[in-house]
Amino acid sequence: MPPAAATNLGYTPPDGGWGWAVVFGGFISIGFSYAFPKSLTVYFKEIQEYFSVSYSEIAWVSSVMLASMYAGGPVSSILVNRYGSRPVVLLGGLMVGAAMVLASYGTTIIHLYVCVGLIGGFGLAFNLQPALTIIGTYFQVRRPLANGLAMTGSPVILFILAPLNQFLFDSFGWRGSFLILGSIGLNCCVAGALMRPVGKSIQPKPKTEPPECDAAVAEKAEAVDTTEQSASLQTEKGKSQSRSQSCVHRFIDLSLFTHRGFLIYLIGNVVMFFGFFAPLVFLAPYAKHQGFDDYSSALLLSILALADMFVRPATGFIGNSKWIRPRIQYFFSFAVSYSGVCHLLCPLASGYVGLVVYAVFSGLGFGMVSALLFEVLMDLVGAHRFSTAVGLVTIIECGPVLLGPPISGALVDISGEYKYMYYACGLFMLVPGIFLFIMHYYNYKKLDEEQRQSVAVEMKTSEETVKLQIGLDDKTAHEADR
Amino acid sequence: MFCSRIVLQCDIMAASLAQLIEEGWGDYTMQQEEGEKIPCEKAALGEDRGIIIMSPSWTQLLFQILLLLVCCRHINTKTSGATPSPLAPVPTVARSVVLKGESQNETIEVLNPIKLELECTWTGDQDKLPNITVYWMKDENEIENSRLTVQLENEPYNLKREFSIEKEENLGTYSCVFENVSKINFILAAPQIGDVREKPIVSYVGDYVVMTCKMEESKPKPSSWNWYKKNGTDEEQIFPAEEPRYKIKNEDEKTKLVVHNLTEADSGLYYCGAVYAIATTKSPVKLKVITYWEPLKPFLAILAEVIVLVAIILLCEKSQSKKDGATGNETNADQTYTLTEGENKDQEGNSSVRQRKV
Repeated sequence: MPPAAATNLGYTPPDGGWGWAVVFGGFISIGFSYAFPKSLTVYFKEIQEYFSVSYSEIAWVSSVMLASMYAGGPVSSILVNRYGSRPVVLLGGLMVGAAMVLASYGTTIIHLYVCVGLIGGFGLAFNLQPALTIIGTYFQVRRPLANGLAMTGSPVILFILAPLNQFLFDSFGWRGSFLILGSIGLNCCVAGALMRPVGKSIQPKPKTEPPECDAAVAEKAEAVDTTEQSASLQTEKGKSQSRSQSCVHRFIDLSLFTHRGFLIYLIGNVVMFFGFFAPLVFLAPYAKHQGFDDYSSALLLSILALADMFVRPATGFIGNSKWIRPRIQYFFSFAVSYSGVCHLLCPLASGYVGLVVYAVFSGLGFGMVSALLFEVLMDLVGAHRFSTAVGLVTIIECGPVLLGPPISGALVDISGEYKYMYYACGLFMLVPGIFLFIMHYYNYKKLDEEQRQSVAVEMKTSEETVKLQIGLDDKTAHEADR
Repeated sequence: MFCSRIVLQCDIMAASLAQLIEEGWGDYTMQQEEGEKIPCEKAALGEDRGIIIMSPSWTQLLFQILLLLVCCRHINTKTSGATPSPLAPVPTVARSVVLKGESQNETIEVLNPIKLELECTWTGDQDKLPNITVYWMKDENEIENSRLTVQLENEPYNLKREFSIEKEENLGTYSCVFENVSKINFILAAPQIGDVREKPIVSYVGDYVVMTCKMEESKPKPSSWNWYKKNGTDEEQIFPAEEPRYKIKNEDEKTKLVVHNLTEADSGLYYCGAVYAIATTKSPVKLKVITYWEPLKPFLAILAEVIVLVAIILLCEKSQSKKDGATGNETNADQTYTLTEGENKDQEGNSSVRQRKV
């Protein structure tokens, strides 16, 4: 294995030790972020009657929460870049707790939109981004596995929260349940406490003066940077920008938009998200439409969630293997295309057994894509720019994530059949999958080329340095002789 | 033919005989007991159910009766659809069921007062007993004078009876029983409210609660809705006019009861009643009123758990870094938190190679 210097993190990530505690913290944070909005739907019917509003007005609570969670991405990135993961997650946990407690005293539906939707959503955003970022700082060699394990939090926490919410609702009604959910949300603070900054766990490699990310010493940092960079590997297009980006552009790194890999990822994902969530949302109604009872339809979702739960760590493990890791982008493209094919074949499923088979396979696809979703981004942009990258990605993905299910719903309403929606979703995933395959093939080729070039440059400069050194030694030897 | 015309209206003896009167076949008057039809055989035999007064042209009459007898016995009519009787102002609805097996249930939804004619057809037993006993029951009680012993002759036997369903007491389970063993149960009821919520609705002291009841779209809509509260063993109807705390909002297929300023005494069982002409169907809704202290207990418990865990984790970390500092390693512990973070970020920010090498 190549030495740690190739990671260019400036230190050797622990790849274990306290890292596993951080993975557990991330498991909880990521789990809450994704599972919380989905699990609140248990209360909607009761709240709808209490406030005498229509179902769509109530569904807005979930939408606002999800939208805030995605829109809060860039804000979260800025805070993480400035203060590190731990304070942001602690703040996020407090926000979620406060949001739910305030919501339990709500008197109007607007009150719920603001508390649960806005404040709660931002709180969850402050959990998601930092958790993903800190894993990148703790792991390098075993990073796909760590990511896969952390992403498993989503189905597991949903599995726990769904029946728990039902129990709370039966015992305490919606107000009491929101109060208790507030305290459960505070557990994100425990997750945050676990997210010890990596500098405290390991010894950073001895460096010349570590420049501070502070405006006052920005010029000093730049000076240090320029001297160091001439000798280090530079393979990115945004070469000139990356020199100054660390301090001056600490707020939002828009130079990412010139990053080839990032752009490929962004375009592929934006299209993919249109068809990502809708098949799950409509699985139970589709089953009921086919004539199966409520219980059997709900069972399909549970089967899907179980398949999802087990395949995420497995995907992380596979992604970590030495055959897949160097070409992990292809694995992600495969996962996306596979999901697309699953959805395209769904209308062919006949009978309940067919639907169960579809649920299992699409659960596998969903889990594979989710486990690799952020790992491949880390792989493309590197751990140090990941925080900003994920912030930008989530805010741009906000659109398709929110628009996807309603558009699919409209398709179902217009055509009266579910199969057109499944065809559309399948296409929305298959086309980006193929696009990602092709673009990454091209990208890998380009990167290999750049790597070769930079190695050649390094060889040349090191040769020159050696020659210079020999010349100097000769000179001193000559003078010593005299 | 003439026989077939008559036999088609075999069950409406009065009408057909009246027709015969008009056609000049004689004077027939029939006395019927209220609400009951006379089977052909009995009418012909002239048992105590009805009295037939014959006109002088008795030969013609006898011929007519014999014809009726012969034709009626071989009928296995399955009348479906309402055939309104000219004597009764209420509509008549007929239902007939063929018994398969030992026992069978048939549910009949009744909205308004009707005359209901029930017909049971039994295909006979394997043992092929020559005589069988048949009778009708209402709610496990045998109906008086309904018992008959008849002869079964290798053919299905059908038993018919008309009932007058006018009041709520008339609803229930009517059964025709063959040989004390095989029976068909006709369950008469007003439309029942489908989805009943088993778990109680939970609300808080001082808050308000909305209780709803909904009649399914497929079932007929009630004319109005009532709400009742269970007080001891009886149900008191709730009148919003008397108690402003209660508000009832009715729509065709659903109803809402809103109770303001809840107290713990408001807990208990409430009933929503869908009012139909024949009866009111009730459905229970349970209410539970608790104080804010109830959810506060688990809240405080979990809050305590979170604080304890966070404290433990942070204290462990502090003590561990103090140990590191004491053994003379790099002075990480003394550095400020933000400085450490900034240091890491900048080290990472120096270069931007895509990491894909293992």
